Amino acid sequence: MNNCIIKLMLGNHAIAHGALEAGVAVAAGYPGTPSSEIMEYLIDYGKEFGVYAEWSSNEKVAFEVAYGAALAGSRAIVTMKHVGLNVAMDPLMSSAYTGVKGGFAIVTADDPNMWSSQNEQDNRWVGIHAYIPVFEPYDPQSAKDFTKNAIEFSEAHSHPVLLRSVTRVSHVRGPVTVCSPATPRYAEGYVKDPRRHALIPANARTLKNELLKRWSTIEKDVDQLPHNYIEGDRNLIITSGVAFTYALEAVKNYGVKASVLNVATPVPLPRKTILNAVSRADRVVVIEEGDPVVEQQLKALLYEEGIRVPILGKAENLFNRVGELTMNSVMDGLSKALDINNPLLSNHPIKVDYAPPPRPPVFCPGCPHTASFYELKISTAKAGVKPIFSGDIGCYSLGINNPFNEQDTLTDMGSSLGLGMGIYHGTRGKEVIVSIIGDSTFFHAGLPALVNAIYNKTPMLIMVLDNRVTAMTGGQPNPTNKIDIGEVAKSLGADYVSTVDPFEVKKAQEVISEALNVVRKGGVAVVVMKRGCALEATRLFRNYVTRYYVDENACKACGICYNLIACPALIPLESRKAWIDPYMCVGCSVCAQVCPYNAIKPEGDVKNWLSAWARM
Amino acid sequence: MRLSMYLAGVGGQGLITFATVLGDAALRAGYKALIAETHGLSQRGGSVDVHVRIGDVDAPLIPRNGADVIVAFEILEALRAVNYANENTTFIVNRRLIRPPATKQRIPSIEELENMLRSSIKNVYFINAYEDAVKLGNVIYENMVMLGALYSIMNLSQYIPQDIIEEAIKMNIRRDVDRNIKAFMLGLRYGNTT
Repeated sequence: MNNCIIKLMLGNHAIAHGALEAGVAVAAGYPGTPSSEIMEYLIDYGKEFGVYAEWSSNEKVAFEVAYGAALAGSRAIVTMKHVGLNVAMDPLMSSAYTGVKGGFAIVTADDPNMWSSQNEQDNRWVGIHAYIPVFEPYDPQSAKDFTKNAIEFSEAHSHPVLLRSVTRVSHVRGPVTVCSPATPRYAEGYVKDPRRHALIPANARTLKNELLKRWSTIEKDVDQLPHNYIEGDRNLIITSGVAFTYALEAVKNYGVKASVLNVATPVPLPRKTILNAVSRADRVVVIEEGDPVVEQQLKALLYEEGIRVPILGKAENLFNRVGELTMNSVMDGLSKALDINNPLLSNHPIKVDYAPPPRPPVFCPGCPHTASFYELKISTAKAGVKPIFSGDIGCYSLGINNPFNEQDTLTDMGSSLGLGMGIYHGTRGKEVIVSIIGDSTFFHAGLPALVNAIYNKTPMLIMVLDNRVTAMTGGQPNPTNKIDIGEVAKSLGADYVSTVDPFEVKKAQEVISEALNVVRKGGVAVVVMKRGCALEATRLFRNYVTRYYVDENACKACGICYNLIACPALIPLESRKAWIDPYMCVGCSVCAQVCPYNAIKPEGDVKNWLSAWARM
Repeated sequence: MRLSMYLAGVGGQGLITFATVLGDAALRAGYKALIAETHGLSQRGGSVDVHVRIGDVDAPLIPRNGADVIVAFEILEALRAVNYANENTTFIVNRRLIRPPATKQRIPSIEELENMLRSSIKNVYFINAYEDAVKLGNVIYENMVMLGALYSIMNLSQYIPQDIIEEAIKMNIRRDVDRNIKAFMLGLRYGNTT
């Protein structure tokens, strides 16, 4: 059992391993940066220990799968990114009312600085909103430990718990003591208890009172958890999460004289632990990544206790609410709060008189989305329509960039359909709507919206970019591997449905044109652009990969390929002729089809390669 | 001991593998290691950075002007990384230019960029990692050439014995282990000659 070794481990893998050590039996999640590696680990390694782990169709379903297991008495975990928790809010709020029988951890991986997200909501607020305690790790080791603690705490209190990670915990590798997984704790059976598990109003009213009672026990018991306290000066720094690591360095390396208290649970605050530390302090500085969640609760707590001590933090703008904390932002804030010098300012910067042009993310070489956006652009131009391109969440969000400019709106999973319908009706049908959505996003939140479009007869073209995987988060499988999107649209009664390969450039343009005609006559048209993700295809069929090259004599330097396809492997030379980087090209053939002079030629068996690729 | 190493490059150049090998080797040699990465949308051919910190460290990110060494896998990214450098920072720069897509701007030549870096940075080393990797048969070995260069230029052997690095390559890169080790060896020569 206690075979433990120290390993270099990603924070997300540490969370997953903590769950295994806690005897989690059921795990469900929906991919989303920075959370995805938790479920990948549970699927890859959990299964051999008998854990049931799945990628669910969305976060609400994932939540319910894990929640149901915990209601039965099994230990369970659900994982998602911060905005995914919004999708799961309905069952989340109920889970605090019913409570759970088996330990149940809800993992939210927040994304301060929005490295790969549409907002940077701080999900610790959800704990306050829902009466669910929040555990917040600060590095990979604590990620493992807190996950285990959280699941045990949950089971001991028959109550769900939240685990809030952030990018700089989830995507940090560090040493972790890894021990053997425990035997998964499944439920013996489901004991019916409708008074508790069926939230009709009469039951829910009783349960709200029970919830408040449980919450007051939880408020007391969080004091028993392992919070970190480092005795120092009469300045007290209170931290939660990754902020603790910066505070530690401030004290150890940058001459800050202070005691440091890190709370394992920002919600609810460990009251006695805090009062104890504050009683030895003349002033308190609060550092946390995101919103002033600890800071505001601390002010309320000290007011209740009649303690008047200066509390310095985000209310004074000492620490940033936007983006991540950094060593610099923490030292800037601390030096102002404690009126000391900031030694980081004495580092001499280097000056270089050249600022390189930005290098934003782009579609990968051979990405089928590139072809789809090109074909959509040409077809709409030929049809003489200027559609509203209602976009969505996925790699294809990059269609916002030049030369495509085909993502006019983009707000949340599945929004391409809903917002498109609203724009159509809000303009009394003046606008032509093209909704662009990926396969995983289609099943996640597009499906009920497609039902709505057909039911309420809202004319629109829905272009599903089916690249066979959830690509942006690392190529996870999703329902498109078993359920044909075109068949789904047909069975729902869409007026036009066609599935086409975007690598057949002419044919794809014809299909889009037909679909646009149907939309102009008031119909709902669904076009499925089906071609596997290039990253996955080159991984799966590496021995088949063929490349293309530019015949220098045939190239007329027209620039159509590199200007309109904008594949990163297509490089304009000084002569304006095109050159294909052989280390980047993956042989999708699209540029060769677009070239008006037949100047782009294959190096090997293209047919064989493209048909292997089409097997995805 | 505390070493802060800032890696800069373009998505797909193998920075995370580089960092994982280095961090794992450091841990095997008895040092704490922290690696902060960027995943997801930010990796699709865009600028990427990885913070590697070894020794007595707690925080995942390197302070501004706080890197001991900057390893740039691409020369424009070396220029973008100067925010993390101070006058004592060592730069180890791959002589490779990857044109940022969709820019109409004229990009200076590698030689011009090299001169800019030489004129403003005291300790700068240029590595032909791309050439070396291609000689080994594939550009994917570039990252291990850069690791060899870092290892020899920064005298990392005082902390991490070479066989531990090789062990870490074996454990973390499963495919073509031999050629990856060869690439690392090729990189070692940059510490002797410059």
